Amino acid sequence: MVSVEIVKRYPAFALDVRWEAQDGVVGLFGPSGAGKTLTLQCLAGLVTPDAGRIVVDGRVFFDAATGVSLPPQARRVGYVFQGYALFPHLSVAENVAFGLHGRPRAERARRTAEVLGRLGLAGLERRRPHELSGGQRQRVALGRALAIDPALLLLDEPLSALDAPLRRALRDELREVLAACGTAAVVVTHDFTEAYRLADRIVVCEAGRVIQSAPRAELLWRPASEAVARIMGVANVLHGSVVKATPERIQIRWRGQTLEAVNSPTRSYLPPPESPIAFFIRPEYVRLVRKDRGAPDPAHHMNVMRGRIVREADFGTVWSLRVRLDEAGPPAQGDFDLQVEVPHLVYEILELERDRHWELSIHRGSIHVLPS
Amino acid sequence: MDLFPLWLSLRVALSATALTLVVGIPVALLLARARFAGRGLLEAVVVLPLVLPPTVLGYYLLVVIGSRGPLGRALAAVGLELAFTWWAAVLAASIGSVALLIKSAQAGFETVDRQLEQAARTLGRSEWSVFWSVTLPLAWRAVLAGAVLAFCRALGEFGITLMVAGNIPGRTQTLPLAIYDRVQAAQMNEANALALIAVGIVVVLVFGLSRVARLRY
Repeated sequence: MVSVEIVKRYPAFALDVRWEAQDGVVGLFGPSGAGKTLTLQCLAGLVTPDAGRIVVDGRVFFDAATGVSLPPQARRVGYVFQGYALFPHLSVAENVAFGLHGRPRAERARRTAEVLGRLGLAGLERRRPHELSGGQRQRVALGRALAIDPALLLLDEPLSALDAPLRRALRDELREVLAACGTAAVVVTHDFTEAYRLADRIVVCEAGRVIQSAPRAELLWRPASEAVARIMGVANVLHGSVVKATPERIQIRWRGQTLEAVNSPTRSYLPPPESPIAFFIRPEYVRLVRKDRGAPDPAHHMNVMRGRIVREADFGTVWSLRVRLDEAGPPAQGDFDLQVEVPHLVYEILELERDRHWELSIHRGSIHVLPS
Repeated sequence: MDLFPLWLSLRVALSATALTLVVGIPVALLLARARFAGRGLLEAVVVLPLVLPPTVLGYYLLVVIGSRGPLGRALAAVGLELAFTWWAAVLAASIGSVALLIKSAQAGFETVDRQLEQAARTLGRSEWSVFWSVTLPLAWRAVLAGAVLAFCRALGEFGITLMVAGNIPGRTQTLPLAIYDRVQAAQMNEANALALIAVGIVVVLVFGLSRVARLRY
């Protein structure tokens, strides 16, 4: 259980965050400059907040009210720094054993060997950090932090120093290590996929504040606001106006269409008619209506509109299409209205390369309203 | 030829280097790491011995440790005397050379990534342990370079030493003072020999230092 409440003011920046998490991995996600690293530094005791309270597993790390502020040495927090901060003058084994200072020699050796073995670093004991690959360095940094059997593990952009292919492989490996060691962890990242893969709960930060804190699936499907959706890199964030809102449905006027969306019963968002509303449509949930199957069936094809593919890009396994609706007036997103993703197979069967004019349909459950 | 000035100078320069290390390293660390009021003033005071005329420094030092100075009187009260002893020469050489050590060590400490020190703290190491296991091992070349420069400067100290330790043959006459004396007495052969010894020591030290500085971790 990690409970964080921090206020820290600088002349040009203020951090004011509050979140809580049960055991497991917390992802601190947001653009650079959001205050994610500063939050980690406060957790580790490297920066002292101006106000607030930090409690980890019932141990009070910091409490401005009672004047408690444990030094970093007393917190038993494993910190994996961005860029790893390995000691360049020490070998792999000495780096991993660094935090075991003061324990009996035999125990130090045993623990070091155990950690090196678990992380697949056996055989590299005598190497220096500059003789290691990026992936090995990352594992040494992780091993050094895990060796002290930390109450909390902090990882600052643990994969950002690596090349893209290695990054994906190590992301999954890191996930397994975190799950296996069972230590509560906080991972800082600006990559949503990374946050989603590594964390159970995601805390979205922007400009020193938390704008949403939720289990990862909830965040993915129900971002709390347009700001969260934009930071997550959600495509097709659109603006329309409310026609009618009931606890079950919301009707939205957008680009000459009246779209019907499912309202969230748990959130019961009921904006008055004519008020502006933001919503998003996932590109992979837009359907192309097949021309060889007769007229669209209203039960399966709702929110039907017509448009033309104006641009496309091949992403290897999917094609990303930019579609402009057959409506007068400026398109919603520059020179197009909707981004649509189709698998390669669909692209070929429907002969999209030749045939550019299509009817689109979007299920009402795939239009997600963003409360303002 | 009387080699007493050589042995005295080596003894004085070594003692002075040890003293500058003990005093200079904490000051260098403070200047490299801490932000505090009066930091600029401290930095100015540190370089003062490099820019003030040595005789001026020597004069003020004599005012402090002389038999009528505050420190001189305090020491005299417990039966000690500092002025015109070889200890005064050590003090003079230290004051003349400590700035070289501090500036070099400070530059070395500043190149040590502070994140490494923070990592050591999160791994449970005390500030003392962080210094000995991270900061110093990563900055030792700069500290060593500063110490060698300080030693060479201490070996050649003339002005301050003359003021506070005098030029007493067989007691406080160091190598530079002896060379000056021989020249005054027109004993050019002896002056030449002593000067060559001084050049030899410094060349060997500086050459050795450049070799050591190229070593990897």
